[in-house]
Amino acid sequence: MSAPILSVDRLFKNFRGLAAIAEVSFTIVPGSITSIIGPNGAGKSTLFNLVTGYVAPSAGEIKFQGRRITGLATNRIAELGIARAFQIARPFRDLSVFDNVRIGALFGKAGPRDVASTTAHAMELAAIAHLADQPASTLTVGQLRHLEVARAIATRGDLLLADEPCAGLNPTETAAMIDVLRQIRGSGVTVVLVEHDMPSVMEVSDRILVLDAGRLIADGPPDVVAKNPQVIAAYLGSPD
Amino acid sequence: MKLSFASTVVLMLAVAALLAFGPLVLPPFYVRVGQLMLYSAGLAVAWAILGGFAGYASFGHAAFIGVGAFAAGLVENRASGLSAPLLLLLGVTVGGLCCAVLSAAIAYPILRLRGTFFAIAMLGVSHVCAEITNNVDFFEGSLGLNFPSVTPSGLEPATFFYWLYLVGGLAVLLIAWQIRRSRFGAGLLSIREDEDTARMLGVPTERYKRLAFVISAVLTGMLGVIYGHSLGYITTDSVYRDDTNLSLIVYSMLGGMGTLFGPIIGAFSLVFITQVLLGRLLDFHLFATGLLLVILVLAAPGGVLGIARTVSLRRHKVTTAPAE
Repeated sequence: MSAPILSVDRLFKNFRGLAAIAEVSFTIVPGSITSIIGPNGAGKSTLFNLVTGYVAPSAGEIKFQGRRITGLATNRIAELGIARAFQIARPFRDLSVFDNVRIGALFGKAGPRDVASTTAHAMELAAIAHLADQPASTLTVGQLRHLEVARAIATRGDLLLADEPCAGLNPTETAAMIDVLRQIRGSGVTVVLVEHDMPSVMEVSDRILVLDAGRLIADGPPDVVAKNPQVIAAYLGSPD
Repeated sequence: MKLSFASTVVLMLAVAALLAFGPLVLPPFYVRVGQLMLYSAGLAVAWAILGGFAGYASFGHAAFIGVGAFAAGLVENRASGLSAPLLLLLGVTVGGLCCAVLSAAIAYPILRLRGTFFAIAMLGVSHVCAEITNNVDFFEGSLGLNFPSVTPSGLEPATFFYWLYLVGGLAVLLIAWQIRRSRFGAGLLSIREDEDTARMLGVPTERYKRLAFVISAVLTGMLGVIYGHSLGYITTDSVYRDDTNLSLIVYSMLGGMGTLFGPIIGAFSLVFITQVLLGRLLDFHLFATGLLLVILVLAAPGGVLGIARTVSLRRHKVTTAPAE
């Protein structure tokens, strides 16, 4: 087994005494697609915020490619190679799709090298090349999600954190997004998803982590996790 | 509207060369108006490096005009042995340096503020600088400060300063243009659009904001030094002006916020409107500026270039629609 690309060790995050993340540890294998699932408020987005340095952990350590990244600035972490697509698409509204993606290619891990080809490649991969000249403000919700992903992969990060890329998409759009994520993994990028759409999660993931009330309650391949009584209880309520 | 590198340079230089003939053909009144237009355009572009590109709209850039002018005046008066060109060079350098130090010192705390809070904090900086200049005897702000003459013999001061503002404004424009085309400029635009997302993509937002702030302050201060010379004698009130603070925002809004040429279009039009069209109505121009600002915010938030863009987009749509 290869060395983990991301390892999270005994991570805690308290918001005014409320434990949003409590003693969470896991590792992510390079080249995999991992999904993080859990009820609303389970701490999924907080976990992403911690990994990207957007908020600082109360305790614990995060390592990326063997290097400690806890406490680094968000832009430093992006430069090291962690890319993130937001849950609510946050395009640069006044810029064109091309210019949006280009910002990712100019910065991030890609740095200012091969900007044009990186931008083109990312738009191609996310299936939005035909929208290049459109202002981001004119895109549909589904297209914005693709833009969000394109901009993130244009940074040439080795790890993509995608926060609910399929939320609010219809079945056709969801299938298209899943296809994009698969292609991204195929290009050598490790993918971690937060997702609610269970059929997609089951279909696309190599592994599933289940969070409930800030704690990791299950970790394993999709078919095993789906049968885990604790997971069923967290989603449906326990029988007693 | 996408021009190649070479054609943009040629266009800028051609317009500048054309403008350079101004003092030779225009009556004296219009030479003075032209002076003010060029000075305002230079300031507007310097302001826009921070306010337009990065979206941090300062309401207190007169602070740098004042600091630059007073620093230069105080130093030049103590270096009277120098020749005129050297004296001016010394003044511009010292004025720029002082603005660099001041802006770098306040950058960290003040750039943590966003939107209106940043604007108001800058207004505070402008007023604090004015009060210090006015009340600390060393700065001679209340008595006033004389500038040594730097106009070459045989040249009208009005003509000389017209050309000086033209050269200064052109330099500021070239710097802003290069920033706009660079990776740094793209980073500033992303900060304006969404600072948190920019950081998430790896844009070093804090460093970029500070750099843009210092560049903007230094260029503003250098123009302030020329302004001090063109007046010949300044007091606190003649450089730390709130109408300047207001105008710098209006120039960009009028011409097109965040664009390269918008601030110039805005400065030229507003100065022309207030000095020529409303020239006879003393002090009416502050009222006119305020009124214009309200109309702009309500009717044309994109300014002149915004309107132009909308029109061309509409035309574009009409011509391409059947093809789809």
